[in-house]
Amino acid sequence: MNDQNPIPPQIPPQIPPIVSSSGSRQLGDDPSERIAIPNVIVAIEAILRQPRRVMFQLRQPGAGRLIARMLLVSVVCSLIYGVVAGTFSGGTQLWAAPVKIAAGLMISALICLPSLYIFTCLGGSQARLVEVFGLLAGLLMLMTILLIGFAPVVWIFSQSTESLAWMGTLHLAFWFIATIFGLRFLEAGFSHSYAKSHAGFLTWVVIFMLVVLQMTTALRPILGTSKTFLPAEKKFFVAHWGNCLNGQDEASKSESR
Amino acid sequence: MRAETGKLNPHEIGILLRGELEPVTAWIGGWDTRRFALHIATIIAGAGLYGAAMGWWRDPQQALFTAIKFPLIILLTTLGNALLNAMLAPLLGLNIPFRQSFSAILMSFAVAAAILGAFSPLMAFMIWNAPPMSSAAASEPTYNFIKLAQVAIIAFAGVAGNVRLFQLLARLGGSRAVARRVLFAWLAGNLFLGSQLSWILRPFIGSPSLPVEFLRAAALRGNFYENVFHSLLQILRQFD
Repeated sequence: MNDQNPIPPQIPPQIPPIVSSSGSRQLGDDPSERIAIPNVIVAIEAILRQPRRVMFQLRQPGAGRLIARMLLVSVVCSLIYGVVAGTFSGGTQLWAAPVKIAAGLMISALICLPSLYIFTCLGGSQARLVEVFGLLAGLLMLMTILLIGFAPVVWIFSQSTESLAWMGTLHLAFWFIATIFGLRFLEAGFSHSYAKSHAGFLTWVVIFMLVVLQMTTALRPILGTSKTFLPAEKKFFVAHWGNCLNGQDEASKSESR
Repeated sequence: MRAETGKLNPHEIGILLRGELEPVTAWIGGWDTRRFALHIATIIAGAGLYGAAMGWWRDPQQALFTAIKFPLIILLTTLGNALLNAMLAPLLGLNIPFRQSFSAILMSFAVAAAILGAFSPLMAFMIWNAPPMSSAAASEPTYNFIKLAQVAIIAFAGVAGNVRLFQLLARLGGSRAVARRVLFAWLAGNLFLGSQLSWILRPFIGSPSLPVEFLRAAALRGNFYENVFHSLLQILRQFD
């Protein structure tokens, strides 16, 4: 008898993971990412728990329906958040604030979409326009869903303070946090599109933030009240916020954020 | 590839923007009238939209004039310097025929115009948020800020177009040094002619104290750089 084992121990071969240019796994490697997103509820759950599934589905034929669903969720969520924001002043602001918040977000996204596509192309990204549009819709959906999460806190403060400056700062802080998460989704989406540089994307982020911030001034008042639906005077947001923080608009709730 | 040239394919602008050298080098190798038309159309649409946003602050009629004049400057500069650029390329080490140098410059302008077109909604939004243009507004920082924003966006578009042109020239010539020489020579010629054309074809934004007109009566007085410098000084004085 020979004690030596002639058969070498079975070592399973190492299968290298498929990686994209960004170093992460390719979209669709996980079978669960390939499952279609049939309705808005699944879309909301997917963007929170499986963002890669949304990114993968945006590359598939028929992504238009998913984009439409995400935009619908964004509009509904921003309308709901707007109603909560409108409770600060009540009256006409209960319908004016949601209309302005929803319209402002959608218009901002539309204004910034062409430059986003151009910047991603300049960065070497292979993402098509429809995919870029889908990722932007995903940003809006994630942002507005998170705003809904903040809505109870906003409502509590709306009922317990009279300070426009405080409420404006609170809304901005929540919007900023929600936007950061939305931008993370957008960046993750572009990291799978073979982009060589993120400089253009970062530039676009600054542009998008500035446009949304200016929109809050262009569509004022969102929190306070005014005789007119839109302001008669044109202002840049820095000047307007300066006035708000200096208390010029605080005595009455008119012409405020 | 031949099948793609059967109709205008806007996706080709994406290829130009991404700087995909394989297909772009193939395009340069042969003449395709439809692709040429696509690049011209991109220049007219992109620069025209940006021009309209630029002139809108002064008056809708100024927007129309600027939408016509802005693409015109690009096309006139390309045409005016076509022969000179074709002669400079072989002299500086890049032996390409007239058709290729013309196509390469047209492509770089198409890239710049596509960028300008993409920025036109942002510019329109900026103008919409600005106070109405008046004699008083012209001395305010807003007026100078918008003018400098215009310069920054146009400069960015121009730089991006020329970066893509440089990559293409390096590929065609096989040397970055040659590409750099040719690009700078072309840039110098295009800037020289382009800035003078833009001065002659002013106004683009318009002045509240002057009437809206296609060309100024004193079209050949002063120069572009002097005006930008003056705006810069006015902004800096705000901080004194």
